[in-house]
This record gives sequence, C-alpha cells and structure tokens, in this order.
Amino acid sequence: MRSEILYPGAFPMVRIELSAGEQIKAESGAMVGASPTVDVESKMEGGFFGALSRKLLTGEKFFFQTLRASRGPGEVLLAPTVPGEIVILELDGVNEYLVQKDGFLAGADTVSIESKMQSFARGLMGGEGFFILKIGGKGTLIINSFGAIHRIDLKPDQEYIVDNSHMVAWSATTSYTIERASSGWVASFTSGEGFVCRFRGPGVVYIQSRNPSGFGAWIRQFIPISE
Amino acid sequence: MVSAPNALCFGHELPASGAPCLVQVGLHGLTVVFTADGREQQEEIPFTALAISVGGLDHDHLVLKWTSEQGERTLYLKDAELIRTFRRFAPPSLHVSFEQAATGARSARWKRTGAWSLAFLTLLILVAGLWWGSDLLVALAVERIPVEWEQKLGEAAYRDFLAHQTVLKEGPAVAAVQEITQRLVRPLSHNPYTFEVTVVKSDVVNAFALPGGYIVVFTGLMQSATSAEEVAGVLGHELNHVLQRHGLERIVKRLGILVAASIVVGDQQGLAGLMKQFGVELMTLKFGREQETEADVAGLRLLYDARIDPSGMIRFFERLSEKDEGRVEWLSTHPMSRGRAERLKAELMAMPKLTPLPFTFDWAAVRESLGAPFVSEP
Repeated sequence: MRSEILYPGAFPMVRIELSAGEQIKAESGAMVGASPTVDVESKMEGGFFGALSRKLLTGEKFFFQTLRASRGPGEVLLAPTVPGEIVILELDGVNEYLVQKDGFLAGADTVSIESKMQSFARGLMGGEGFFILKIGGKGTLIINSFGAIHRIDLKPDQEYIVDNSHMVAWSATTSYTIERASSGWVASFTSGEGFVCRFRGPGVVYIQSRNPSGFGAWIRQFIPISE
Repeated sequence: MVSAPNALCFGHELPASGAPCLVQVGLHGLTVVFTADGREQQEEIPFTALAISVGGLDHDHLVLKWTSEQGERTLYLKDAELIRTFRRFAPPSLHVSFEQAATGARSARWKRTGAWSLAFLTLLILVAGLWWGSDLLVALAVERIPVEWEQKLGEAAYRDFLAHQTVLKEGPAVAAVQEITQRLVRPLSHNPYTFEVTVVKSDVVNAFALPGGYIVVFTGLMQSATSAEEVAGVLGHELNHVLQRHGLERIVKRLGILVAASIVVGDQQGLAGLMKQFGVELMTLKFGREQETEADVAGLRLLYDARIDPSGMIRFFERLSEKDEGRVEWLSTHPMSRGRAERLKAELMAMPKLTPLPFTFDWAAVRESLGAPFVSEP
C-alpha cells in the first residue's frame, strides 16, 4: 500500500493505493470514496468478543472496516470525523504505539490493534478513558487528531509535560505519570489545566493542538436548549 | 544473516522513536546489529558495561544502558524470549540488578492490579452500601429538604401538567372532592402542607399526588367509584404519599443513582439532562412497593381518624382488580395483590369499631353531574 495525504491542514484526506488483493483496516465510517475494484467488509478485529470489548470499553467503533482490492488494484479515500491533521507512521515491528481511542484512522492489514486497560490513576485522570488502543506490528499506521498534530521527540530520561486532553499517541517506550498542573488543588483547577501528564523518554509523543472536550464545552453554550 | 529487529536503541544521534536493531546475547555480552540503508553496523557490548533497569509505560521493557564511542546508548528489550536468554547468559555480577529490575516491574504490576482491585472493591462497597444503606441515606437527605422546595418542585410540575388538561373549576364533583380532602386533612395533627386538589376531565381511572401537596383526581376515577368513601380511600392513599414525602424519596434515590452512575461513567451531560427531565419525571414517578403499602396503611388510618368508612377503600381496590385490569391505570401503577387487600382488611379488623360520619353531598348526584351511568352497588 502507498498512502498520501491530500489537502494537508484542517480538512485533510488520505489516499491509499492498494495493489490487487491487498487490504487495509480503517475506522468504520472513515471511507470517503474508493475504486470499484475495492470491496468494503466489516470485520471484527480480535474476534467478536475482542470487538465487543473494544466497543464497550474504549468507545471505539465495534467494527473496523476492511477495504480489500479484490478485483484488481485500486485506491481508497479516507477521512476522519473531526477536523484535524492526519499523520502516517511506519511501524517497524518493534515500535509500538499507544493511541487514544479516537486517534486511529487506518492501518495496514499487518498492523495489530488491541484494547488495553490503563492503570487506574491514568484512566481516571489521563483524559483518554480507561482503555486505549495498543497498536503494533509492521506496516503503515495512519492516525488523526483534533487540530494539528505536533510531534515531541524525547531522548532517554528527557521529560515533557502535556495537558491530559491533548494526547493522541505515544511510543510504548515512554512512560508517563499524572500530576496536578499546579501544586495546590484549587490552583490546578482555576488555572484551567487540572491534570497534566509528565512524559518521560525515550520515545515519541504525538499531541493535538486542540482539546476535544474543551471545544465541546465551548460550543455547548451556543446550542439552543430545545424543548 | 538478516533477522527482523527485536529491540529499539536510543541515543544522541539515533531517531527519537528509536532505531530498530537486532540484539543477540552471547557468552560475554550483547551483539547489537543496526541495519540502516541496507548497510549493517555491528556493535559488541560486554556485560560489564551494562546497567539494567525497567522501563516503558507498563514497566514491561528491559532497559540496558551503556556508554559507547558515540555517547550514551539505551536499549529497550521487550521480547520475552530475548529477556530470558539475557538472564541465562548474564554473569552473576548482573544478577542483583536484574533481580532488582524484575522486582521493580513486578511491584509496578502489583500496584496496578492493586489499584484496580481497590477501585473495584470500592465500587462494590459503594454499590452494596447504596443498595443496603440507601434507604437511610435517602431518609436523611429528604429530612433536610425544606417543604418550600418540595412545594416549588411539585407546583412547577403541577402547573405544567394542568396547562394541557381540561380542569373542572366548579360543580358538585369539585365540591365533593374538596369536602373529602378537608375531612381527611382536618384530623392531621402535624401537617406542613396546604393541599391543593384539582379535578381533571379524563376517562382515566386515576389520581396522583405530587410532592408538596398537589393532587390531581381524574373524573374517570369518580365515575367508576360507587360511593364517596371509595374516592376518599384513593385520596387517603395519595395524601399519604405526600405526607410521607414518597415523591422526594424517589427523586433523591434516582438522583443518587444517576450521580453515582455519572461519576463512574464520567458523563457530565447526564446531570444537566437529569435536571431538565425533572418536570417529566415527576409525572411518571412510580412509587416503590414499600411506599405503596405504607400509603395504604396510613391511608386507612387517615380514613379512620376522619371517620370515613374505610371499607370503601378496600372495596374499591377489590372491585377494580376484578375489572379489566389493562384499562385501569390506577391499578397498573399500583400493583394490586390479594395480600395487599388482605393486609388492609386485617388492619381494619384490629381497629376499634367506627361509627362513620356521612358526607354532606349525595354521591349519586355527583356522579350524575359527571355524566356517569347509574350503576347499582354490587
């Protein structure tokens, strides 16, 4: 598969070229268009219970869709639901990424996806819920964000602090702890930061330039209350 | 021989996501093979140069550090087989730090399992506590809610409901219901409520009470009652839902469960929606079985104290339960069981004989004013 990001910026789309017989998995509902040679199948990654647990626990879609170029080479166009950037990562078989539940857009068939329970404190305060996706294997992984994606490179033992609702994906070699943004409880909340994640390298952390729940809260004030 | 990489190497000039490399464990140390641009680069590291620790998000990586010619190097191993081989070949000098690292990883895993177990246990205790101790908590909470709040809550729902109904403003039916209510309320020694009773034109055989003393009686109920004592029985029951603050208890209970649920699920919108729902919820408020029994028994006492023949209440219950049950709404919201009627009968038997005081109105005339066909008492 060859992938290319079209219209980079807030409203990008990704074009994936498939050779005959090749297939990819994508978030269900992500397909915008496809060649007539491409078949769309829904597939429950990890079997029925795996899919069910993913649906119930991470809030991820129950089915991933499989796009297969069954009748010859073709292309598919994929786009995420929210406005924001798309990043293409090449997994080398050793590197694993943890991706928050809305971050996965598509991946090569050889990429493995599993739901993973976070530690209790991270789940409660990390901002991405108790369950995240662990993505490994070898091949292309396409992730998306809300807003722009910013990459932070961390050398061994280098630290960086990220607001908990801005995390998109991070390497499994990094570790993070949750802490209050300010030393006092009151100051933590009045500063508007609440909890932050202190990441420790080595590895890569992808963050998004917008906070989905913050945006939701902001837009809620303009929604008329219907009777 | 080119094998798939099995580890990630980090260093000053290496990519931040780590350079994939192939690690082989030998008798004297590690061989790390990097493949970049098709060229193989090999590095030998003796065991003596290595520092061991644990890393990664889940403490599931073995981290090896050493200083090479290019500077500090960090190797992240995850492959279980590779880690086992390393342990087998590592000289005794590394055993202590290897065990320390393993202990660190285990304790991190234990901590994690512990935190989850603790959280689960807390949740379990919370649920159990809510289940067993909720009545006490609810009673405590309800006690602290002033009657004025209750009235405001009930009044809002009451006005909202009446706005869509045909209300009977005057006439024999309204006068009769008011007289019954006054008779029932008069003997009450401690009554913070001013009861407001409205007769609503509807074929539904029903009456309901809202928190704060707002009572609605449907003409359907009056039409199907063969005596004023039967209506008094239903009103006695409904008045006691108000007096015992059953509506508030239900609200507090439901609120408590939803708050607990929203804390667990993390849904902030739940609360906002809940507050909005209140108006509707009040109308569909179903009382619990215990509350119904309480209202029954207290209603019977109320009738007795007001010197209204309590057998009318029992008779009405029985008569309606024999009728087409699907159509009788009052019964469908008030599950009628033989035991319930029997219980009331037993209560009545235990009370001293009562000389009832008749009402001033003629029930047949009241029913006639509502257009009910004359039905002889069975």
